[in-house]
Amino acid sequence: MTTGLVTAAEEVVTIEIGGMPIDLRTLDPCFRVFIENRYAGFVGTSPHSHLEFDIDLCEPSQPAAGDDLEVKIEGGEWLLKRGDFRARWNSETGRGQIRQSASPYAIDCVLRIVHTLILARQGGFLVHAASAIRGGKAFLFSGVSGAGKTTISRLAPPDATLLTDEISYVRREGNRYVAFGTPFAGELARVGANQSAPVCAVYLLEKGLENRIEPVSTTESVQRLLRNILFFAHDPALVELVFQAACEFVSLVPIRRLVFVPDQRVWDIIR
Amino acid sequence: MMTEKYIARSKAIAARMLGGEMMVMSAADSTFFTLNEVASAIWQAADGRTPLSEIVAGKICQEFDVDPEHAQRGAERFVDELSQHGILLVSDEPLVESSPTLVSR
Repeated sequence: MTTGLVTAAEEVVTIEIGGMPIDLRTLDPCFRVFIENRYAGFVGTSPHSHLEFDIDLCEPSQPAAGDDLEVKIEGGEWLLKRGDFRARWNSETGRGQIRQSASPYAIDCVLRIVHTLILARQGGFLVHAASAIRGGKAFLFSGVSGAGKTTISRLAPPDATLLTDEISYVRREGNRYVAFGTPFAGELARVGANQSAPVCAVYLLEKGLENRIEPVSTTESVQRLLRNILFFAHDPALVELVFQAACEFVSLVPIRRLVFVPDQRVWDIIR
Repeated sequence: MMTEKYIARSKAIAARMLGGEMMVMSAADSTFFTLNEVASAIWQAADGRTPLSEIVAGKICQEFDVDPEHAQRGAERFVDELSQHGILLVSDEPLVESSPTLVSR
């Protein structure tokens, strides 16, 4: 199929996050360029993408339309809905449609949800955490807004590669977990590096008067991890998958509390 | 005469024994519970067919050396709390639906 002088291949931008390519197809050349810039570093060329979305742009909806996110299964497909977008996705065929305003938040949100739904079935997850690679190992720094994710990212030494300051991508590979960089940025407004490494530890962030690392009980580890895992659909089967993924993760990866003073010396104790 | 209570684990939950503790999460409201040893024993015995009084007398009192009256009161409080979150199903008749499989580690 062609549209004027634009071939079908040129209508598609492939965004590859966590090693999972997703084809985004749009007839709007400006939005295509916008996507390429927004996800710079994550624009893939994989010809083997099994996930594909047709994007149909529309005018922004009125605030009265409601901003509450809704994610549910309807007619055998996932329905994703918020004030600024409405999407359908068939997890069997991998195909979907997005009707959205030309907003970065809308496409970002759809991508996050689709990744969480796919990862859940593979034992992985997206989690509110900054992450960085140092010495070939990935470290996650988890916490709610204000806990210090951006601060710890900003303090990262030159030999650390920042994967994200906001949303970490964790995939299970055999008996280990691997963290991948994401373009989902927080206050730093900086897209993460498109790299990956085995997860060595998760630090639960807590600002304090000195730098120290404390043990965390298994129960608290699971509870805190679950609190920070991105979780959009209250589908019982999905809840079970996410819960089991969190338990599996805690059984294989050490979770500790990092009490820290916001200066660069905190990175001296991160091993 | 006291009405007998039968308890069964809801299917709308996720549960797992990890590090010696039973963790339970409600699929409906994501409420998270950690059960102590006694509560775990009641939880695991909640097959929908065994009366609560029998679980208390035959399992809790035997395994944990507690007096029956105290154990029964504690068990009823525990069952009430978990049933309020839809984690345990309670009935005065046997519950025939099977409970979810538990994963241990």
